[in-house]
Amino acid sequence: MTGEHPALALRGLAKSFDGKIAVAGVDLDVPTGSFYGLLGPNGAGKTTTLSMAVGLLRPDAGGAWVLGRDVWTDPVGAKQLLGVMPDGVRLFDRLSGGELLAYHGLLRGMDPAVVDQRAAELLDVLALADAGRTLVVDYSAGMKKKIGLACALLHGPRLLVLDEPFEAVDPVSAALIRDILQRYVAGGGTVVFSSHVMEVVQRLCSHVAILAEGTIKRVGTLEQVRGERSLEEVFVEVVGGRTATGEELAWLSR
Amino acid sequence: MAVPLNAPTDQVRRVSARHFVRLKLRVMGNNFRGQGWRVALFLIGSLFGLWFAASAFFGLAAPGLTGNDRYAMLVAAFAGGLTVLGWLLLPLVFFGVDETLDPARFALLPLPRRTLVTGLFAAALVSVPTIAVLVALSGLVVTAGVFGGWFAAAVAALGVVCGVLLCVAAARAVTSAFATMLRSRRVRDLAAVLLAVAAALLGPLQIAGLAAFQDVDWDRLAGVATVIGWTPFGAPWTAGIDVAQGRAWAAPLKLLITLATIAALLAWWSRSLESAMVGAASSGPAKASPAATGGVVAQLFPRAASWLKRDRFGVLVAREARYWWRDARRRANLITIAVVGLFVPVMVNFGGQGFTVGNEQGFSLAGDTSPLLVSLSMLFVGLLAAVTLANQFGFDGSAYAANVVAGVPGRLELRARMTAFSLYVLPMLAVVAVVIALVLGEPAWIGFMAGTLVGTYGAGLAVNSFVSVLGAYSLPETSNPFAMNSGAGMVKSLLTLLAMVATGAIAVPMVVAAALLGDAWLWLGLPLGLAYGVGAALLGAHLAGDVLDRRLPELLAMVTPRR
Repeated sequence: MTGEHPALALRGLAKSFDGKIAVAGVDLDVPTGSFYGLLGPNGAGKTTTLSMAVGLLRPDAGGAWVLGRDVWTDPVGAKQLLGVMPDGVRLFDRLSGGELLAYHGLLRGMDPAVVDQRAAELLDVLALADAGRTLVVDYSAGMKKKIGLACALLHGPRLLVLDEPFEAVDPVSAALIRDILQRYVAGGGTVVFSSHVMEVVQRLCSHVAILAEGTIKRVGTLEQVRGERSLEEVFVEVVGGRTATGEELAWLSR
Repeated sequence: MAVPLNAPTDQVRRVSARHFVRLKLRVMGNNFRGQGWRVALFLIGSLFGLWFAASAFFGLAAPGLTGNDRYAMLVAAFAGGLTVLGWLLLPLVFFGVDETLDPARFALLPLPRRTLVTGLFAAALVSVPTIAVLVALSGLVVTAGVFGGWFAAAVAALGVVCGVLLCVAAARAVTSAFATMLRSRRVRDLAAVLLAVAAALLGPLQIAGLAAFQDVDWDRLAGVATVIGWTPFGAPWTAGIDVAQGRAWAAPLKLLITLATIAALLAWWSRSLESAMVGAASSGPAKASPAATGGVVAQLFPRAASWLKRDRFGVLVAREARYWWRDARRRANLITIAVVGLFVPVMVNFGGQGFTVGNEQGFSLAGDTSPLLVSLSMLFVGLLAAVTLANQFGFDGSAYAANVVAGVPGRLELRARMTAFSLYVLPMLAVVAVVIALVLGEPAWIGFMAGTLVGTYGAGLAVNSFVSVLGAYSLPETSNPFAMNSGAGMVKSLLTLLAMVATGAIAVPMVVAAALLGDAWLWLGLPLGLAYGVGAALLGAHLAGDVLDRRLPELLAMVTPRR
């Protein structure tokens, strides 16, 4: 039944802050089972779009549907199917990693025994078991990303929305996260994540959308968007940034 | 034409306090931008402050205006002393300090400590309370001028300015030192004791104030005033009066005392400031954390709350309970409740006893206490405990997003938060009722005292559920548990006041019952109070929960600090 619905559908999402337009009408269909990369420069509106898609930020206009369930009129139904790792949002970081997982699990209405078992596995796989009872606030940036991912995965969501999952993560952890996400997609899950690291997107994604100035500039499968060129070339061309500096910063070189 | 990178010194200009002041004004201005209600609240708060200041001004100028030389010294010493004490203690207990300019933000700048301290001090002076106090205490200048002419007035003006500087320096130094202490968990117990002692200091002064009210023995009080005048509490304010009364030699000494105290406070502040600046980076050495044992679920639930079911409600309560203890900001609030809850009733009910002994026919405002007076003091403790939750979502900050994503129903959320907070507060309230009743020598009153406490507390929970959902504001993400955003200070004070007034109004039946029911209330107090409190809290959670359900993302946006 869910097969006919896209895993995530956005229609005309728009948001402005104090008269400044952050997102100007985003339409997006994320097919079930896809590994979807949302690309964009800093300030393009990636975080705003994803926040509206998962119910963290009320849009000025438009709507979002998770597997056919409206995030804003049926939040309970939609949020059950959803695992989210927001960026720039604190975790309840005065809990230890294990406690945080227990909190998220029970908050999702899971059985305590299942929470215990899955949490132990996740902590083990993500190499967080050694941290013991260290509070999350004392974790390194990379460890915080990993525990955030574990919290999003714990209840076995159908759709995983990750904001900048690879930022501040060392290469070893990044490889680990990539591996976990690929297994998750291979098992029928859908991943949407935002990034501005081209090579990660190029390596992982089946579909790509490029967001700039609050609108979708390019969208499609990786091959469609990239064509014959590298993703980075397409990205820079679409975003229209300047690629070289001229005379101005001469004082830097001395 | 490239300027060498390694020789930037010839370009550096001195940073003065002016930069800090301008930075603070700019930050304040930007905070107001596009937020009409904040501007309105700020204006209302400022008007309140100025109105208060103006009335205090005339009160302090009264000895001069009425030509009553006798009281001049008395008024200056007591009013000034209370002002300093207030600046010392109130930021700790109620209001927090405005940390528009967070010292941690300056940690990377090449600023000498002296520049930083003077700059932050100058910036701290730019605030409504400072101006209000300056206006209020200027009344002393009028008094000194009437009795001693221009010279005395000038000395008094100088004294008042120094006094205000002293107040601000004291507030900064104390909160900063306190924040440092509370951060390290080892000394938090010591901190609690210190706060208790500081609050206890209010007691003797309250007695003195009541005594003055009763017009008992002016000569004896004048002696006390003279002594206070030679301490840092009274020195700046009394210098002008001394000149007016022909003791010109005392003025320079008193000003010297004041300046030395300011210097000492600033030195203290600058020391604790340094640890505040690096505090964020090294919030304690990485402890050898014990290996986790047992399942993660068992770890999360505190032993005292192990009776909770392992479901959504239980886990919300468990997390909140952990947070009330682990979050320094919340812990500071709990300590405040404990201290104020014990000392305010003692002060209210014992305030004037020492004086009524020698003055039998004096009116019995204080002295021997009554069920009504006790009820009122219990009411105050109850609403003070509940008002701590007025910004309960602000404590979470952006971490609240986890609950929004999980779609926690509003009623469940509010009920769980009330339960977790009550795990700490109800035992405290029980202790307050028992201790106060025993101290008063009226053990039979325990029942209705506890009933009044719980009834008011429950009503307060209901009121503050609404306040916390509708009037939440973000707290800065610093390590200082007393820090607040500028503007938020005003909002916080007004909302707190509003919540307390509303709670008081809802809890009035408890006091009326104490006045009307007489002896029956001794027995009915506890069951009725319990029923009233629990009922009010549940009704509040029920109604406010609906409001919360409709505003989850809005609430999240309100408590997320702007960056």
